[in-house]
Amino acid sequence: MADGHLFNSISLGGRGGTNPGQLRVHSGGIVWKKQGGGKAVEVDKSDLIGLTWMKVPRSNQLGVRTRDGLYYKFTGFRDQDVSSLTTFFQTSCGIAPEEKQLSVSGKNWGEVDLNGNMLTFLVGSKQAFEISLADVAQTQLQGKNDVMLEFHVDDTTGANEKDSLMEISFHVPNSNTEFLGDENRP
Amino acid sequence: GTSRGAVKPSGELIAYKNVNDIPLPRDFMIQVDQKHEAILLPIYGNMVPFHIATVKSVSSQQDTSRTCYIRIIFNVPGAPFTPQDSSLLKFQEAIYVKEVSFHSKDPRHISEVVQLIKTLRRQVASRESEKAERAT
Repeated sequence: MADGHLFNSISLGGRGGTNPGQLRVHSGGIVWKKQGGGKAVEVDKSDLIGLTWMKVPRSNQLGVRTRDGLYYKFTGFRDQDVSSLTTFFQTSCGIAPEEKQLSVSGKNWGEVDLNGNMLTFLVGSKQAFEISLADVAQTQLQGKNDVMLEFHVDDTTGANEKDSLMEISFHVPNSNTEFLGDENRP
Repeated sequence: GTSRGAVKPSGELIAYKNVNDIPLPRDFMIQVDQKHEAILLPIYGNMVPFHIATVKSVSSQQDTSRTCYIRIIFNVPGAPFTPQDSSLLKFQEAIYVKEVSFHSKDPRHISEVVQLIKTLRRQVASRESEKAERAT
């Protein structure tokens, strides 16, 4: 099979943890199938609007952003996969993946970036974590400076994590004027 | 002596230097890394580290069914009883993660995590205050 690359242990990450599966990248797009059947993700080349690479512990993570606002994160790529896939994406899709860096310093202060329905917490311009605002059930302003996000209770999607995030709150100082109009869901 | 893993003033606080220093996730649950003095929280499929010095308090609560909650509160500027660290002034415009809560399927693991976090916090805090005393 000349068309494309097949990767056998690639997991799809999301709110409930990760699911192992198989990913195929071909000239028409990206297909991921969950191990043992069930969920599949198909992204047509024409729906791809952005790709990112990020080094994560002992692996690499591919971020796939689609035209309809969805965002998938696939983990399990080796360093050599990154270079071969980058070339492939450039030649067959005309998209050059961007490189992102993961913050591992353990700081709890930084910046918040909103892009589509993803909220990214950045520490020193590196990504500490991302959350999808689509999973947020409620937002609350607590006091003058705190914004709380409450997540949907999610026990349907075969979540494999033992501990799941229910609430997170951010402290936004008065001097930060960037999010004055952004405290509620976009 | 060496300052490896020591809690430095907030401006230099570093739990991990390298992405690959982060331990691999076990069952996507909260982990305490005593060696690096950090806690790791499962957020959207990734293990996210927070240095123990950013943790203000931790508590857990068990509900009627066999599930429980853990709440971790982080240090933020301006909160009462936060030690006034001059280096914090540098980050006045920053946004802080103030609090997280997790729902867990394993109450035993949660009570273990709460104990580990409290112990680690205490150890680091007493070491730091000793260090501060010696410095004066």
